[in-house]
Amino acid sequence: MSDEKKQPAEEEKNGWGIEKIPYPKGVAYISARWDVCVGCGACEMACSMFHYGTVNRELSRIRIYRYLLPLPKSVQNVCSQCPEKERECQKACPEDPPVIHYDPERQHMVVDEDRCLGSGCGQCRDACPAQVPRFYPPEQDVSMVCDLCEKDGRRRPQCVEICPTQALEFISPKIPHHLERIHPDEKAASLANRLYPLPKGRVIRMPEEIWGGK
Amino acid sequence: MRDKKFKLLEVDLSNEKIQTVDVTSEVRRFVGGRSLGAKLLWDRVPPKADPLSAENVLYFGIGPMTGLLGSVTNVSAKSPLTHLRGQSNMNGHFGVEFIYAGYNSGVIFTGKASRPVYLFIKDSQVEIRDASHLSGKSGIETQNLLTEELKKEIDDQNIRVAAIGPAGENMVRNADICHDFYHHAARLGMGTVMGSKKLKAVVVKGTRSPDYAHPDKVLEIMKKWLHAGRLYRIQNRRWGHTQSMSGRYYKTVEGIKNKQKGWDDMCDLFNPVLLEQRYKIWGDACHGCPVACKVPYFMMGPPLGPFAGELRHDNAGGWSANVMIPGYELQGYLCSYVDYLGLDGEDVSGVVAWMMECYEKGLVTKEDLGGIDLTWGNVEAICALLKKIAHREGIGDALADGLKFAPAKIGKGTEKFAITGKGVAITSYEPRGSMKDALELAGTAVGEIHGARGNPDRIMFDSLTGCSFWRSTVQDIYGSIADWAIQGLHATCDWKLSQEDWRLLELRGATMERCYSIREGHYVPERDDVMPERFFQETIYNKYNEPKKLNKEEFLAKRKELYRSYGLKDDGTPSPEFLEQLGLEFAIPVMEETLKS
Repeated sequence: MSDEKKQPAEEEKNGWGIEKIPYPKGVAYISARWDVCVGCGACEMACSMFHYGTVNRELSRIRIYRYLLPLPKSVQNVCSQCPEKERECQKACPEDPPVIHYDPERQHMVVDEDRCLGSGCGQCRDACPAQVPRFYPPEQDVSMVCDLCEKDGRRRPQCVEICPTQALEFISPKIPHHLERIHPDEKAASLANRLYPLPKGRVIRMPEEIWGGK
Repeated sequence: MRDKKFKLLEVDLSNEKIQTVDVTSEVRRFVGGRSLGAKLLWDRVPPKADPLSAENVLYFGIGPMTGLLGSVTNVSAKSPLTHLRGQSNMNGHFGVEFIYAGYNSGVIFTGKASRPVYLFIKDSQVEIRDASHLSGKSGIETQNLLTEELKKEIDDQNIRVAAIGPAGENMVRNADICHDFYHHAARLGMGTVMGSKKLKAVVVKGTRSPDYAHPDKVLEIMKKWLHAGRLYRIQNRRWGHTQSMSGRYYKTVEGIKNKQKGWDDMCDLFNPVLLEQRYKIWGDACHGCPVACKVPYFMMGPPLGPFAGELRHDNAGGWSANVMIPGYELQGYLCSYVDYLGLDGEDVSGVVAWMMECYEKGLVTKEDLGGIDLTWGNVEAICALLKKIAHREGIGDALADGLKFAPAKIGKGTEKFAITGKGVAITSYEPRGSMKDALELAGTAVGEIHGARGNPDRIMFDSLTGCSFWRSTVQDIYGSIADWAIQGLHATCDWKLSQEDWRLLELRGATMERCYSIREGHYVPERDDVMPERFFQETIYNKYNEPKKLNKEEFLAKRKELYRSYGLKDDGTPSPEFLEQLGLEFAIPVMEETLKS
């Protein structure tokens, strides 16, 4: 193109990057924007790396569920660190004191792994309306739940930091945060409403329905 | 560090036998995907085999780095469309699932099932299952039905399915394989081969560790490009890959009216800004990609709406000004209908454009077409013809054989209006606008497929298997494709490669593919690596009335340079010394034999 002139790219830009927003203090959780999620799975890689030093989505505490609505759509599922009276997983744990519980000091859910009964029990998962707690029997047959990547009192959620579309936010609750606890099937069904009035499972009307003929 | 092992799942459909084969030594030489596919075809398909017979194989190929740059699956088989080396890429989430299932070199199908079947893979549980309830269903319906059916069994929503539609079952020669709604291994009749094997779908679910040699380095590579890549490719995120069309019309590199014109005012209707602002509903990505270049649309308006789909250059390029479709509303409907039938939108649009020109010139009549008034831009007529092709009814039976075989069957002087190279329809490209495109399209050993050029670096990219939309950005971020690949192969497999090793891999893969096509005897590079005469003889004019034509002498001279850059002789064939240098000695006698005759 004749209008083009060779010039070096600008080295740096000043912007409003999300990384410049300070992390919240006090009670906080990971809020998932499912409409923005593109389903790349980077969060799962970062999570398993932080907690287990490997890249394996089965060892991730955040999970991507992919649906065909029939347009493909991915939604995230991650613990919303529910308020005290809403902690169904903690209530359901058969152990006393509960293996899965909120630690007010560290300000996130924790699992006492040596006491956990594993996937054979699974009552925490079944009690959670979003089925957030996960098990990976081959390597980690204990309940896995988001700990906000807390280490020595610092919370740096790796999934939030890696998410390329800012579909995950680490925030203080602005709403009763258990309201974020929605089963992925229901999230997908909600987004499918955007395709109304397409008939379920179809993307077009057949030419015969439009123009007639056999 | 122990040596990383590579496992290939082998499924014999004739005898319903399943085994896992160690292919580590082949992977060290051919890496995976496209290169390894060419080698597997060479070894396992007898020379001159009928592509639709049980002798053909179907290989869903992946590479050691699949999942790190998109999750491309490269599908290989001898092509029923060209009778040469066939291959096609699809992205999405399918390929990487094989790594999670423990088959890090993919799956190869041999033989032919006696009834409709699908393959179910969950880690070590591999079963050939009955698929009679899925017969006649579209690829998308099949995926939905199988997901519903199986998610209870495996207690998970995340299942990856690749399936064929009615066109594949009816062995239309340009049928596609569909995954995740808009990812299609569409080119060169890979769905046709799948249909000939009575294999309706492949379902895979993996829950194993991907077992990377250095997972921390894998994540470092991912982080670097997740952060840089999303900034580099911001327009792809907004507009998807149909964005290129608007610019392509201005550069005269996109076909119009079956390549009769260089500009039409309707070209400006393909404006991605409108697509984004009017119709886009959300963005969607492949595994491990920050861009999310899939931008599905939803259109409500009459008379065709409501309907939904997704437009890219690949599926939409042919359903545009090349058949005189004005704008996204009609284009979107057609693309979704083509997907429903399970056809390769790009190739079959070339067949339709050819018929339209023949109809305009009076070479085929309304009676020939079974009563269809196939005028330019007539969506109703196009849909009626597509249905005939997908079900092989009337004239559709001949047209379903693609541009290598159909012109001879239709006859009556229609042959010269078939815009094809080696049997593949040239639809989304107008070579008169770019000599480079003309050369690279003509110079591939697989047919004029824009996404699968014969450049060794591209062939290796398809072997790794990376998303080809990222090639240029990988160079921006990592310096070169070689640097990225060498780092990635170290992180995933602990291989330590030099730049020279890498170059050798590139040339070996490219030459292997060429040797296979030559062996099949229908491919003589000097004779076949050309463009249709129209591009050398007819001048077209762009929007600014500037003339565009290809010069044949220049084309032939530059083609020699191209061959040399691939390490080949001036006639496009590999010398015995070159084959020896690449470690492909086994091909020398076969090459000499074939090229002599």
